[in-house]
Amino acid sequence: MALAFDEYGRPFIILKEQDQKTRLRGIDAQKANISAGKAVARILRTSLGPKGMDKILQSPDGDVTITNDGATILEQMDVDNQIAKLMVELSRSQDYEIGDGTTGVVVMAGALLEQAERLLERGIHPIRIAEGYEMASRIAVEHLEHISQKFDFGTTNIEPLVQTCMTTLSSKIVNRCKRHLAEISVKAVLSVADLERKDVNLDMIKVEGKVGGKLEDTELIYGITVDKDMSHPQMPKQIEDAKIAILTCPFEPPKPKTKHKVDIDTVEKFQTLRLQEQKYFDDMVQKCKDVGATLVICQWGFDDEANHLLMHRNLPAVRWVGGVELELIAIATGGRIVPRFQELTPEKLGRAGLVREKSFGTTKDKMLYIEHCANSRAVTIFIRGGNKMMIEETKRSIHDALCVARNLIRNNSIVYGGGSAEISCSIAVEAGADKYPGVEQYAIRAFADALDSVPMALAENSGLQPIETLSAVKSQQIKENNPHYGIDCNDAGTNDMQQQDVFETLIGKQQQILLATQVVKMILKIDDVISPSDY
Amino acid sequence: MASMLQPQIILLKEGTDTSQGKAQLVSNINACTAVADVVRTTLGPRGMDKLIHDDKGNVTISNDGATIMKLLDIVHPAAKILVDIAKSQDSEVGDGTTTVVLLAGEFLKEAKPFVEDGVHPQNLIRSYRTACNLAIEKIKELAVSIEGKSLEEKKSLLAKCAATTLSSKLIGGEKEFFASMVVDAVIAIGNEDRLNMIGIKKVPGGNMRDSFLVNGVAFKKTFSYAGFEQQPKKFLNPKILLLNIELELKSEKENAEIRLSDPSQYQSIVDAEWNIIYDKLDKCVKSGAKVVLSRLAIGDLATQYFADRDIFCAGRVAEEDLHRVAAASGGTIQTSVNNIIDEVLGTCEVFEEKQVGNERFNIFSGCPSGRTATIVLRGGADQFIEEAERSLHDAIMIVRRALKNSTVVPGGGAIDMEISRYLRQHARTIAGKSQLFINSYAKALEVIPRQLCDNAGFDATDVLNKLRQKHALPSGEGAPYGVDINTGGIADSFSNFVWEPSVVKINAINAATEAACLILSVDETVKNPKSESAQGEAAASAMGGRGRGGGFPGRGRGMRRR
Repeated sequence: MALAFDEYGRPFIILKEQDQKTRLRGIDAQKANISAGKAVARILRTSLGPKGMDKILQSPDGDVTITNDGATILEQMDVDNQIAKLMVELSRSQDYEIGDGTTGVVVMAGALLEQAERLLERGIHPIRIAEGYEMASRIAVEHLEHISQKFDFGTTNIEPLVQTCMTTLSSKIVNRCKRHLAEISVKAVLSVADLERKDVNLDMIKVEGKVGGKLEDTELIYGITVDKDMSHPQMPKQIEDAKIAILTCPFEPPKPKTKHKVDIDTVEKFQTLRLQEQKYFDDMVQKCKDVGATLVICQWGFDDEANHLLMHRNLPAVRWVGGVELELIAIATGGRIVPRFQELTPEKLGRAGLVREKSFGTTKDKMLYIEHCANSRAVTIFIRGGNKMMIEETKRSIHDALCVARNLIRNNSIVYGGGSAEISCSIAVEAGADKYPGVEQYAIRAFADALDSVPMALAENSGLQPIETLSAVKSQQIKENNPHYGIDCNDAGTNDMQQQDVFETLIGKQQQILLATQVVKMILKIDDVISPSDY
Repeated sequence: MASMLQPQIILLKEGTDTSQGKAQLVSNINACTAVADVVRTTLGPRGMDKLIHDDKGNVTISNDGATIMKLLDIVHPAAKILVDIAKSQDSEVGDGTTTVVLLAGEFLKEAKPFVEDGVHPQNLIRSYRTACNLAIEKIKELAVSIEGKSLEEKKSLLAKCAATTLSSKLIGGEKEFFASMVVDAVIAIGNEDRLNMIGIKKVPGGNMRDSFLVNGVAFKKTFSYAGFEQQPKKFLNPKILLLNIELELKSEKENAEIRLSDPSQYQSIVDAEWNIIYDKLDKCVKSGAKVVLSRLAIGDLATQYFADRDIFCAGRVAEEDLHRVAAASGGTIQTSVNNIIDEVLGTCEVFEEKQVGNERFNIFSGCPSGRTATIVLRGGADQFIEEAERSLHDAIMIVRRALKNSTVVPGGGAIDMEISRYLRQHARTIAGKSQLFINSYAKALEVIPRQLCDNAGFDATDVLNKLRQKHALPSGEGAPYGVDINTGGIADSFSNFVWEPSVVKINAINAATEAACLILSVDETVKNPKSESAQGEAAASAMGGRGRGGGFPGRGRGMRRR
């Protein structure tokens, strides 16, 4: 920041280290901010839609991520600019709230900023632009409500849910077997959903992956998989109708937490101690046997002595199972976590139809499947794929699909995808603009133009002529008064998204528009940027 | 130094920077005006925001005067006073922080020509004080009381005050929505003086409209151990037990040591330890509570124990949240599980764990004593929510103030214009210099409407002339006219519901005048070099090598202002 001078020509310092700070204000600040925002949007633009491209991201320590999930790309890009960070957060909050549409929201915000720049050049006050955008977003959201459709689904009729999840997955690398994955996602969500409270806790769905096999081998397990094997190699590999004791205490003599010391001064005492320790092991195993457990899952380890004893008594056991997995196992099998051997009772055992150890291909990797659980409230999606990056990307895609299914359970309204909803909103906003007197009208029109950018990007990414395609679809929508026409990205021969079965959730779309408007307003409102100059 | 012929009397440490006299005063005024200029553009509904990021990389985007002043990190001694008044306005009334800085800056600016002309600052100060008193009298006279209205009416009036505050903020687009939320929250806590009874929780994601008010307490799910998910997540009319003890298997005394000589007794101490914790847990269960909260950890053992008995528990609840739950549910925080009687248990209508954005929240709603409220804020970005929180804080303060003092004045610069007119009129009756000073005080007050216009991009002179004309009407009917931000003309602020609690204005004028007088009364600054030696070097090099080593040590007339 430049030094201020008083009448006598002496500089005076008002701020700490004032000359080391840079300050950007007025229209310059706004322009700089807008171009930062636009730059971020430009990066993501090519990732939009079913024909969108992926990005490869390398982290400082060499990990490689390949994805086309907007939130992930931005997260990994590690942007430095403050305004760009806002865009990252924008995409993140779409991810938190909806889980899907993270690319779309950034593209939308970028388009809004681009339009705002033009308006600023005309000398329109930034706040009035922001206000106009806000009015326009309200029109758009109402219009979306208007063109949305409710559809019914039940535990038996999952087809509509699967269709919507397929739309989400179609833009991902996994679209080869999107049908398969979509079905898995929907079934998983439905099995953990609380349909009455419309609440879905996604924590109850464990997404696990293992390199190898084909994507098609991905499966839904009504139970839990654990990346562990039996504690002793000679233990049975398969247990049917298992009764599982879930323990959080080690197979060891208990240790008091208070500091203690046992004075051993005679051989006899040592003998008793030794005997007692052995008795502990014996008792513990006996206790498990007594209540009828056929499998022990333990949060802690146990030493070879205990291991041998368990083997000897024919009681298979798994050790070192993490707390979260333990909990999921308890939920899946309907068992209770037992902190102490004395507390074991037959009712506290979990039940599973089948517990088996499975090895994969030629590798030595083994996993423990606890499946066929009656009335399972926790499920696992087990992903197979050619390489690690593929599995990671599949995990992210499945997360998106799970979120979509969850949103539909919360609110079963949908709109049609393929840019049809945006085009329809654009028409509605454009028409609504004329009703507003004042400068805001311009901003509302600009908003309508910005809405067009999403289908435009879709068309561009699909190798179509953007302007031609968009104008054709737009006129078709108006002519036939049908908001279901969108961009035919997959070259299916029809523009009608209803026929193509391309759905998106209403709340996801509304959220996109609202969030993008919100962030753009925030960016427009800044007219003064004060920062340390080495930034 | 030694080479000097005449020995100098050295009073101060070498390098001490002192400056004095008229020039010092002018320089101080300049610094203050420069600071006021920084926040100038944030005033009013069309005010802009500032993005400030410090060298640690923290970023704040704000429109709140006090926040900006705090973050600017002002080192100029005189200008620091402005920061202080912004802070005091913030803690006293919560809003009007920009106004107060702007007013102080303007008072000083008006005083500058007089100082330069050789008027004694004390004369100025005296007149300013008189003018200030007169202005406050006038505000009190003009204020409209909302006392004695029905609750419904009062609510809508308060909502209007809150909306005026919020209109200049980022969440201005949804001001009605938030205003009513704020009013509900403030009314919910009633006359409770502790502001922390209104909790504001921030959850990124969602849009502003997804924010909601819980008539009770809400907090984020705490860290949980295995077994937690097996606990029931919804209760109707549960009894709530609040604890401040650890429910964990651990050593009871830090330094205790047990010595055993007989190994067979080993089991007995193990059992003894378990019995202690089981005893505690059992007492919790026996009390009949269905929700157990503790400020300290609730271990995995306890979690599973409670899960087995269909009880919900949460450990490591933040202290203020726990206090809020206590206030809301009517329970008392216990430090022991012995003798838990029914009276210490709280209750609420519904307890539920719910998904909010990416987080799971524990929500207690419909609390009987209802002296708490929690606002869960949603928004697209962290910065956004931070700013929204600051804005809501302002609004909450305003509503509380209005509720207590229950008088309001028209906003939009109307009250400032009216006082200005009144003071000008009054000035005419005074003989002597004071007339000029009070006139300039009156002129300074006009800065508020002028800045409102400037920020909105209107022609300030034009609007101000219209306003002056309206306010000069002899019938007095023009008094509530202020700037109309939508059309660029003037409008009756009162009937447009642009209202501010009168205490905001009174405090702002008072604080601004105080600050201006304080700065005017300073004529010498003595700066100790040591504390700012690093700074001195930077400034010295900036001043073209006129370092302090080669100057005139000890002589105060160097006037090296930094």
